[in-house]
Amino acid sequence: MPNRPRTTSRPPVGRRVVLKGAAIGALVFTIDGAELALTPREARARALPLRVLGEDEAASLEALGDVLLPGAKTAGIVAYVDHQLAGDPGDALLIARSMGVAPPFADFYRAGLKALDAASRARHDAGFAALPEAAQSELVRLISHQSPDGWAGPPAPLFYAVTRNDAIDVVYGTVEGFERLGVPYMPHIAPERPW
Amino acid sequence: MVDLATPEKVDAVIVGGGAAGCLIAAKLSQRGKHVVILEQGPAWEPEDLVSSQIWNRRLKWAGSVVQVAGKHPIGHNYNTGWGMGGAALHHFGNWPRLHEADFHVKSEHGKGLDWPISYADLRPWYDRVQREVGLAGDAKREVWRPPGEPYPMPPLQSFRQGEVLAKGFAAIGLRTAPMPAAINSVAYKGRPACLYDGWCEAGCPIGALVNPQATYLAQARQAGTDIRPHSTVTRVLSDASGGRATGVEYYDAEQARHMQPAGLVILASNAVQNPRILLNSATDKHPDGLANSSGLVGRYFMAHFGAAVKALFDEDLENYRGTSGNQFMCQDGYGKARSNGPFGSYTWQIGAAVKPNDITGIATARGDLFGTALHDFFKRAARGLTGLNAMGEQLPDPDNRVVLSDLKDAHGFPVARVVHSADDNLLRLAQHCQDEGKAVMKAAGATEIWTPPNLGWIHVMGGTVMGRTAQDSVCDSFGRTHDVANLVLAGTGLNPTEGGVHPTFTLHALAMRASDHMLAHWGSYTA
Repeated sequence: MPNRPRTTSRPPVGRRVVLKGAAIGALVFTIDGAELALTPREARARALPLRVLGEDEAASLEALGDVLLPGAKTAGIVAYVDHQLAGDPGDALLIARSMGVAPPFADFYRAGLKALDAASRARHDAGFAALPEAAQSELVRLISHQSPDGWAGPPAPLFYAVTRNDAIDVVYGTVEGFERLGVPYMPHIAPERPW
Repeated sequence: MVDLATPEKVDAVIVGGGAAGCLIAAKLSQRGKHVVILEQGPAWEPEDLVSSQIWNRRLKWAGSVVQVAGKHPIGHNYNTGWGMGGAALHHFGNWPRLHEADFHVKSEHGKGLDWPISYADLRPWYDRVQREVGLAGDAKREVWRPPGEPYPMPPLQSFRQGEVLAKGFAAIGLRTAPMPAAINSVAYKGRPACLYDGWCEAGCPIGALVNPQATYLAQARQAGTDIRPHSTVTRVLSDASGGRATGVEYYDAEQARHMQPAGLVILASNAVQNPRILLNSATDKHPDGLANSSGLVGRYFMAHFGAAVKALFDEDLENYRGTSGNQFMCQDGYGKARSNGPFGSYTWQIGAAVKPNDITGIATARGDLFGTALHDFFKRAARGLTGLNAMGEQLPDPDNRVVLSDLKDAHGFPVARVVHSADDNLLRLAQHCQDEGKAVMKAAGATEIWTPPNLGWIHVMGGTVMGRTAQDSVCDSFGRTHDVANLVLAGTGLNPTEGGVHPTFTLHALAMRASDHMLAHWGSYTA
């Protein structure tokens, strides 16, 4: 779906389905014409087709996510980011929005992942996803505080900060993530009346 | 693009459905005025306020791109809002008052600007706003508080995190008091008491927090205000003489262009978009932008600095309990002048509830950590992380400003570019705060103490400052522009100085005072 220049923030799917999904930390996916609320982890497990990211981009983002916070891959970082990139920027849940990244957000991710892969190939003659764990960590440590020589994407520390927070969102920002930390989620009660 | 027929002329059109716009709309509509609010974003319903630090991002800015520049670019999108309720929909409810000295900085210290009014002029509206919406606090313990009625509700509950930190302040001789909060500690005027689940930033669907959805937006709706979400105003239209505003041009969700005629035009978008719209409304009579004969539209833009100190404790701080705001405050550092020290006021914010993710969460406390080290940090931080944040004053500087960019929006109008830098005094004041905060943490018994590498920038203010004359300001103390009698500005953009306190209470007091003035002198505004 092309990004509109201005959001209307009209839910692309039924409000009831969106809210049912939100309550469990899920997103709404359309499968064979039907709307289904799935967590990013469930979406990944079902191998739902991606709508924006290509295969190589998805592989790089999964690898990066797991270096940033082990478990982000299976928690569905790619399903989460891809789902958000496919929608209206005004409805986006990505932290990129709060951190001043200009829409369309897909441009930011694509350029960052491309630059990461290029930096990896320049150093190791292999894409980031194919690097040994130690080499991946070394490169991530570098981009955490500076753009490597020849880096052609968004400022590397910003790309690091955004994707690191994406990884945290899918691992610890959900009801399940709170539980793993032993922190009560305590969602608000549903209002009995609209004031 | 389709040009639709010009709608019926209304008494007042308000641009922006945030706190100021909703308050003014409610007051005017309750007195029988025909009022329209044009808001770019969605309307939002209570069920949209999902308790999540992921879902709350929908409440943050999603309008045209705002470019940031300067030595210390502000974090614009996080600090502004999207949709009915504006930034106040996701604000934290910290509501201290400005101090008397904040109104006379230039005359008393030879720095910055003066307000054209004093604290005493605004006090009646501070008192009235707190009666209308309800504030929780302890006026006696708040020893720094300027004169005013006591709070109508007792303070919010405190929890282990806040109490541990308050002891740290006491140990080094600093006083604390409950943070005055626009959050119900008990049921108030039909709205329930807070549950202390820390989801204020996601909006408060039960209505315990004072946000427009629960207060003046609800009143405006009830009084018949015509609310039009998904309506993007591009410029204010003025007559051939240039002396009067005739209405506004806007685009609806289908990108159709409209003109809304009005007797009175009120710009209440925010401290970035108000100057942008004025600058984009230039005509041959106003070649440098509407209401800009002073050349000051966009200038004196300000933010508060946030000087944070983080710490880990080897105990369960119950840090997940409370509100997104704070349990306690300290204003022992509010006095502006220090011998041989930096100038300016600051307020310590003490005991905000901690969530795992997002900008204010565990996630950003140690941005350098990743991998298994980050997992290890999360485990320790989940119950043991705390932070102090000094919110401090930036003096108005004409070189900090909102200008028009070369980049244009979908309708062909230049977007805003915000140029913002901090001077050496501010950086020294922030360092002073962090040194003090580290001493507090040490005295409180923290096992690890650190400061984040960068200052935060909180709130957006200035850019259309009020003053006494058309030479030194854009508008008067009621927000009426000096150049165009039926064009009024509202919001934090009016503030000539910012003090060291959160701006939302003052915004409400100014908007209510302006509403009263409009209604009492309606003919002079609309004739």
